[in-house]
Amino acid sequence: MFPQFGATAESLSKASTAVFRIGTDAHLYDDPEDVNISPLLDSKFDSEKCEALKRLLALIAQGFDVSNFFPQVVKNVASQSLEVKKLVYLYLLHYAEKRPNEALLSINCFQKDLGDTNPLVRAWALRAMAGIRLHVIAPLVIVAVQKCARDPSVYVRKCAANALPKLHDLRMEEHASAIEEIVGLLLNDHSPGVVGAAASAFTSVCPSNFSLIGRNYKRLCEILPDVEEWGQIILIGILLRYVIARHGLVKESIMFSLFNIDIDNLVQDESDITSNEEAGYAIDNSVSELGNMIFQCYIERPDEYLSRSSSTNRVAPNLDVSQFTSCSNDVVKILLQCTSPLLWSNNSAVVLAAAGVHWIMASKEHIKLIVKPLLFLLRSSPASRYVVLCNIQVFAKAMPSLFAPHYQDFFICSSDSYQIKALKLDILSSIATDSSISLIYKEFQFYLVSMCKMDRMIRGISTFSSYTDPDRRFAADTVAAIGLCAQRLPKMATSCLEGLLTLVGQEFFCGEIRSLDGEDDVLIQAIISIKSIIKLEPPSYEKVIIQLVRSLDKIKVPAARAMIIWMLGEYCSLGEIIPRMLGTVLKYLSWCFTSEALEAKLQILNTTSKVLLFIKGEDNLTVRKIWSYVIELAECDLKYDIRDRSRFLKKLLSNNLESHYGEKENSESQNRDLSFVLAECMLGGQTKALTIPSEPIDYRFYLPGSLSQLVFHAAPGYDPLPKPCSLPYTDFDQYDGAAMGDSDEEDPGTSGSLDEESASDYSSEQSISGSGEVSSRNESVSGNEGEDNADQLIQISDTSNVCDTGFQDLMSTKSLESWLDEPTRSSKGSVIEQSQLRRSSARITIGDIGSRVKPKCYTLLDPVNGNGLKVNYSFSSETSSISSHLVCLAVFFENCSLEPMFDIVLIDEDYSKISDSSNQTSPPTENTLKFHVDKPALVSMDEIPSLEPGQTANRTLLVRFHHHLLPLRLALFCNDKKFPVKLRPDIGYFVKPLPISIGDFRDKESRLPGMFEYMRSCTFTDHILELNKGSNSLTEDKFLVICETLALKMLSNANLSLVSVDMPVSANLDDASGLCLLFSSEILSNSMPCLITVTVEGKCSDPLIVSVKVNCEETVFGLNFLNRVVNFLVEPSVTHL
Amino acid sequence: MLQCIFIVSDAGEVMLEKQLTGHRVDRSICAWFWQQTISLGDSFKQQPVIASPTHYIFHVFRDGITFLGCTQVEMPPLMAIEFLCRVADVLNDYFGALNEDIIKDNFVIVYELLDEMIDNGFPLTTEPSVLREMITPPNMVNRALSIVTGSSSNVSETLPATTGSSVPWRTAEPKYANNEVYVDLVEEMDAIVNRDGGLVKCDIYGEVQVNSRISGLPDLTLSFTNPSIIDDVRFHPCVRFRPWESHQILSFVPPDGQFKLMSYRVRNLKSTPICVKPQLTSDGGTCRVSVLVGIRNDPGKMIDSVTVQFQLPPFILSADMTSNHGTVNILAKKTCLWSIGRIPKDKAPSMSGTLMIETGLERLHVFPTFQVGFRIMGVALSGLQIHKLDLKTVPYRFYKGFRALTRAGEFEVRS
Repeated sequence: MFPQFGATAESLSKASTAVFRIGTDAHLYDDPEDVNISPLLDSKFDSEKCEALKRLLALIAQGFDVSNFFPQVVKNVASQSLEVKKLVYLYLLHYAEKRPNEALLSINCFQKDLGDTNPLVRAWALRAMAGIRLHVIAPLVIVAVQKCARDPSVYVRKCAANALPKLHDLRMEEHASAIEEIVGLLLNDHSPGVVGAAASAFTSVCPSNFSLIGRNYKRLCEILPDVEEWGQIILIGILLRYVIARHGLVKESIMFSLFNIDIDNLVQDESDITSNEEAGYAIDNSVSELGNMIFQCYIERPDEYLSRSSSTNRVAPNLDVSQFTSCSNDVVKILLQCTSPLLWSNNSAVVLAAAGVHWIMASKEHIKLIVKPLLFLLRSSPASRYVVLCNIQVFAKAMPSLFAPHYQDFFICSSDSYQIKALKLDILSSIATDSSISLIYKEFQFYLVSMCKMDRMIRGISTFSSYTDPDRRFAADTVAAIGLCAQRLPKMATSCLEGLLTLVGQEFFCGEIRSLDGEDDVLIQAIISIKSIIKLEPPSYEKVIIQLVRSLDKIKVPAARAMIIWMLGEYCSLGEIIPRMLGTVLKYLSWCFTSEALEAKLQILNTTSKVLLFIKGEDNLTVRKIWSYVIELAECDLKYDIRDRSRFLKKLLSNNLESHYGEKENSESQNRDLSFVLAECMLGGQTKALTIPSEPIDYRFYLPGSLSQLVFHAAPGYDPLPKPCSLPYTDFDQYDGAAMGDSDEEDPGTSGSLDEESASDYSSEQSISGSGEVSSRNESVSGNEGEDNADQLIQISDTSNVCDTGFQDLMSTKSLESWLDEPTRSSKGSVIEQSQLRRSSARITIGDIGSRVKPKCYTLLDPVNGNGLKVNYSFSSETSSISSHLVCLAVFFENCSLEPMFDIVLIDEDYSKISDSSNQTSPPTENTLKFHVDKPALVSMDEIPSLEPGQTANRTLLVRFHHHLLPLRLALFCNDKKFPVKLRPDIGYFVKPLPISIGDFRDKESRLPGMFEYMRSCTFTDHILELNKGSNSLTEDKFLVICETLALKMLSNANLSLVSVDMPVSANLDDASGLCLLFSSEILSNSMPCLITVTVEGKCSDPLIVSVKVNCEETVFGLNFLNRVVNFLVEPSVTHL
Repeated sequence: MLQCIFIVSDAGEVMLEKQLTGHRVDRSICAWFWQQTISLGDSFKQQPVIASPTHYIFHVFRDGITFLGCTQVEMPPLMAIEFLCRVADVLNDYFGALNEDIIKDNFVIVYELLDEMIDNGFPLTTEPSVLREMITPPNMVNRALSIVTGSSSNVSETLPATTGSSVPWRTAEPKYANNEVYVDLVEEMDAIVNRDGGLVKCDIYGEVQVNSRISGLPDLTLSFTNPSIIDDVRFHPCVRFRPWESHQILSFVPPDGQFKLMSYRVRNLKSTPICVKPQLTSDGGTCRVSVLVGIRNDPGKMIDSVTVQFQLPPFILSADMTSNHGTVNILAKKTCLWSIGRIPKDKAPSMSGTLMIETGLERLHVFPTFQVGFRIMGVALSGLQIHKLDLKTVPYRFYKGFRALTRAGEFEVRS
């Protein structure tokens, strides 16, 4: 009416928004490119840089590719302003994968930031560095994560835990163990915040490495209520899996009672117990076959599921009693005790996760705990309401008694979406009981009244497609639900049926105003429901059938008609009235046969045939006439389906007809003709009521709270529960045993303090005070929180169980200090430690160890592949005089054939072919190492002119490995034949011995702290063999043997020099802890020192825990070297036998 | 874990994307989502978890903004949904409201917040008070500052001290001149009333909202006179479980400022404070509607903001509604809203009118459901009462205030 006024109002409102938007970043988002961005990036003012970065961010947000600014942005990573840094990181992470080379430029800056005093800077640097996801820098990131995992700031440690999955995504198998080690360390952290993040890392890095959990199980349970909500969700799942894998399922749980049905060969007394409980809770009889399926699905993997479903008989997984534990087991008890308060969590995901644990593990009487919290979740956001209902649906189906008293919570509100309504209906129909059904039925009726009518009206006038009209679907669902209820509760069947019949009546009453577009779900569903109710007890519903048949000419929907006709045929022998009306009805049907739809026609054919078989006496003649008429009509039908059917029926019944027709008094053999029997079998005889379950159970179920359960297929990464008791009692028993309450001999050292407070040990109050203390004494050993921490330190140092962690923490604080502070302080720290070490240890020398070193021999060519020529090689400890880049190898040639060999020589073929481009084969690590590859890999070897059968020859080979660890491809020529061979480099020989004194060693070590120090631990078992060999071992001998085996192992696998061996004196006779070996070496190529410290923990006769520490300036080399050392220490030696 | 978060506007425009892992999610997924929404209608949009051809999509819809989270691997769906809700809450908290313009205007803050809230698909810092310390919410002052000086950083230079402490939700050592704690009981009544006036169900969903302004590190204890009526509870992480388990006492170190301490439910109430009696009769192409509203069980306090709302049935040509008190409006989507305000003492408010039914239809077949709204200050209808609030660990005195409020939740009257 007043266009100008409208325009003014519009512009006014625009103006007001404009005022409102002043001072925000609105102009940047609206028009990010109205100024030239690149000069701003190069500006020396932070504010201009910020603006440029914000503009870039706006472009990213709007989906433009601005990766061409990458080099300019990367420069700004060095900015001191945190805001610039943050914005740069945001940009960097978005594009790092696209521009890997430029991204590398930022690494130095991150390295620097990692040493910053501000924890926020350290954390951001770590997050950005790990987020770049380049293989090249992965080793550096691992080192950084290792450092940050021991950072004093909780926030940084948390970020370290979050960085682990990023590393894992790069799929670096060689670092897998290092990553897992960090996961273990972080799981052991005393701050709940870190544990939560570590749990998340655990699930993505090593979800089945339960030894990490077993070690800390009890502590993890206790810390659970204090872990932040997101971590709780993950941690609950981990603990559940661990308990099942380790201790199996719970005997009192509903899961067991379900298996119990299948497994008959149970011990008698156990079944007694369960039957007692049955009486008490009356649950077992309500647990359906469906429930059984559900639990089976929780455990089996997809392949098992497929194999089971393909075979016809469903065999339950063979679980036996041994795979069950009792819920009085302390492990289970703790789990349930610590998860039950989480049912009160504010985060619905936590509640659902906790409920899942109880569902699977809790005993039947305790499962009830989960009901109210789950129902409370229904009051949260609509999105989560849907997810919760999906889960409740499964719970309610498996155990209807659980939710039966709370049926009111599933009543439908007008604001519910269709999905939620449908779920609520389904739940209602499965939890209805005799006492609640009348109210529920009333509700159903209300839904029908409010929905059906509307539905009809809409269809009467407008043309909605069936999909867009959820109300209609809902009405059909309601009808189906009524049918289901009637089947479940026979008491209600009659009233349900009445309701349905009136509905059918209303439906066809309004049939006239309905457009016949075949959308008659409600009516069809009503007839289906009626059919299923009748099936329960046909004789008592005779009148219903008659009523339906009478309404036949009003019902126009083909599917509904077909069903009614089917019912007529099926129950034609029922009662007294139906047989009498058959003739009339059949006449009616044959009369309208031609106008019927396909499905109704088929049913008419069937029904007429059935009636024909049944009817005896005078009606037979009429029926036979009708039958022949219908068959004739059908034979000329347009649809091939009907023609086929009619031909089939004709063939089947014609014999029978004739026999009836003609000689009725004939002998039985003719009468009971084969085809008649066949016809009887096929058409006669009602389908047995209730022989098949109401719905075929062939779909799968997934764990409660999982994504797969919502989408009805196994999402990638879905993992069913582990097999009960699949985890053997292995090496970590020693950790586990003490922590588990079920073992009688509790170690007083580890769980003493917890016992005192065991009543309140999971309350948050206690742990707040506990963790408060812990954070103040950062350096103390985590794992035990309590008042008497001085005592505990002592206890820990003399219990072997936690020495591993204790030692690491001790080391970590040292390295942390050294990393954050000036080197002077760190050297002081190490001096203190050193003097402590000295006080309690004695230095020994092992004479003539060098002569006993036997380098490991590798096969280069075996006689099978080499026409009888056998070539072995070993790395020699000599160093080349020609070039420092060359590694010496001793190569042994042996002629194992019966003929002499000539002209044996090894050459580097790649180089001789393309001498200038051999760096093609170099791996990407070259980027960081910056070695020029322009020299042949092999210094030419003296040719062996001839080798007689059985003769051997030795040659020394000088090889240039270019400092990388890829196998070297060489060609071996013999008798003018070429054999390609691979020479595997050993990083242990990329160094040469560096004989120095202990003082020098300590001095060098103190100059290589922080980033240049790497540590890992592993187990060492070689000495056990040696100890067993010498049977009359004295205690002193044991130590010596361990020293010698360790030293030999080290020296035989790497080119090192042994600096010193320190042996504990005051310690226990059988305790090897404190044994310390120092080795030194320098890197061949650049003469940088590389120092190795090997420290031993554990008892002499048990596998030892060996911590290896490498100090080396060359970061990547040091790491690889450490990994190599750990690898050869772990692998049992065979060559030394 | 989540791989990507998109924030999509009302019109289907992707306003923001944040890639979280190395597995990049193309924004074309949003186009797919939008297309499906348009072609399949509401029933698609109401599904919170969707399996698209390439990704699983979680979505949360808030004030016209759709928050989409994508993943390709198994993860707890509720975790994703809760997280997206949390993002929406935090943004709402930061900007005071949520709409397309606000998101666009503050996109840098949104990016910074998202970066802080989630790392590699796993939530990192989600505690609102900590976030507020790390990234300053926009306000008039720093906006004005940014106009004058041309720049102002909203990124905190230091890590909040609380991230490492045992009470991560509490700001480090706030100082107040007046120490005060306000406790509000806010209850919502959910009820379904049948056609015959019978209560099908009537539950109370309540929240204990606390506004704590106390210096130092206070330890509070709150107890109720009649905790036994509470059917179920959910707690803020600060509440210690054990005292509640044993004595139904709330013991906690509160976060600073406003927060929701606890939510609870009281089931199966026997009466409602207000009664609404709709009557519909239809004949000969018209339908007479009359609705009566009255106070049933006087709660003793003023009932105000009373509204009655219903969807006009389909096939209504016109509606002519009048009331003796308050105003009647026909809103968009054929919703009829009757705002009554306070119920007068002297007369019972009533609304009446006629609906013209489309030609060809004699009678009305579908009867609307009436949604009732009301608010009662000063009373908690569940009957829950606070017994006392004690402060431990901090020596000084403080002021405490208690309030109660009941309003209608999903209060439906069927006809």
